[in-house]
Amino acid sequence: MLTYTANNYIDALIKKGTRAGIVGMPPMAVINKLITRQVIIFDLDEPIVKKNMEDALPFLPRVYCAVLRTVVLNSMNLDLEVIFIDVGPGKCDCALHVATILAHYLDIPVIKTTNLDKQPFGTPICRSRMPLLEKMEKITAGVKSSLAADQEDVPFCCPTAGFWGVPPRDFSLLKLFPDSTHIYGWTRCMENKTPADLELEGYFNPDIPTVFFAQSFCAKTALAKLLADRHPRGLYVDADVTAGSSVKAKIQAFLELSGVKL
Amino acid sequence: MILADFGTSYCKIIDFDKNCEKPQIVATKKIDRQLRVDLATGHNGKRFAAKYVNELTALARGGEELITAENYVLLDCGSRDLKFVRYEDNRLADMGWNTECGASMGFTIELLERYYELDFNKLEVPDKTFSITCGVLGMSHIFDAVTSGISEAVAVARFVKGIAINAYRFAGSPDIIYLSGGLCANRLFVESFPCRVVPLGRFVLLRGLESEIRNRVPEAGNPKTQSSICRI
Repeated sequence: MLTYTANNYIDALIKKGTRAGIVGMPPMAVINKLITRQVIIFDLDEPIVKKNMEDALPFLPRVYCAVLRTVVLNSMNLDLEVIFIDVGPGKCDCALHVATILAHYLDIPVIKTTNLDKQPFGTPICRSRMPLLEKMEKITAGVKSSLAADQEDVPFCCPTAGFWGVPPRDFSLLKLFPDSTHIYGWTRCMENKTPADLELEGYFNPDIPTVFFAQSFCAKTALAKLLADRHPRGLYVDADVTAGSSVKAKIQAFLELSGVKL
Repeated sequence: MILADFGTSYCKIIDFDKNCEKPQIVATKKIDRQLRVDLATGHNGKRFAAKYVNELTALARGGEELITAENYVLLDCGSRDLKFVRYEDNRLADMGWNTECGASMGFTIELLERYYELDFNKLEVPDKTFSITCGVLGMSHIFDAVTSGISEAVAVARFVKGIAINAYRFAGSPDIIYLSGGLCANRLFVESFPCRVVPLGRFVLLRGLESEIRNRVPEAGNPKTQSSICRI
């Protein structure tokens, strides 16, 4: 198979209606081209295919990031024509290896990208008043868009709590937070469309109780743990495929005991 | 008004309408399924009450009621899991809840005491210990030790010490541990900790519920966050 860069593949082969999967945040130039060509984009980080996670076992070890296991499940079942997978500082080392696995098992081009975009699009959703789950859905949906969020649609608020981290595999844990929760970490980088901005990713607000979340078995657990230790009122948690009752209870108790109005 | 801590093995219930001075302890397996209380905590609490308080919150509130120190670690060793809260300057600094690798520690200790007909208050703390992170998996150490000729009492004592050390590490290896839960009455367990232990008994979560009932207004969020100028 020929080796393509994202741009020359899109220029040469992609057409309207092509079913393309994306993993992480490919560069804005790639997303723009996919949108212009009216490609059908699937965000493979999200649980699209309703299959048992154990179905990913032939391809990945059980003890592996649940988001990337989800990527593999989606990739194997969505009848895709091409996958653009971001690797490097904007995603994670594991994604690089998953790219190799997908290329090995699938008969479609798996094109690696390295998103080093630096132009900030702003983070109004992260700093808005609305249910945290809804904020997260808007931000993750933004991966398929080249537009910034409309600031008028998202009312600003001062934060009373913080959620730092990546979008969790199990969004249900987000229901525990108040609407005035601000988002930090890689999710803020996502909204800003600068996923490799490590300075922004490492930023937290020391004034508010903050939950530092990472997917179990993700390299970002180390950063989450470090930042939680440095934060005056930080709680580190990690969760695998689903957030169990002890994880949820920890978050709930932490917020209650930190005086956060729920 | 009835408050209850519905634990995995035992339920602790106090009925203020009956002027009870001491909470009642009932084996969970004997609880009337129709029982309804006003406020509950514990693994099974949601089934029996309209209002439920998270166990960690109840533990922390109970600690605030019972402990006068400003800096402390309060560890609850239950039948099924371990929980701790750490306070610094009277404020929550850390917490943990170990449901997987702390699995069934208290429950296993009780089973072993009954099966081997031991009295934990008479057993000496052994010099050696087993490396144990889970009650269930740790049992094989006992069987192996007995097979190798060690007495059942010594093998079980090593097991109990291993559990105490695991709980101590889980709580962050502090100099002093305030201990909550039924294992406070187990002298072997308490003395197996490699630090000073202050046993608070098994009603700490109930005291936390009492605190909740008094409707203590939670500390407001940091004043900086209430201002129109806030860090974002």
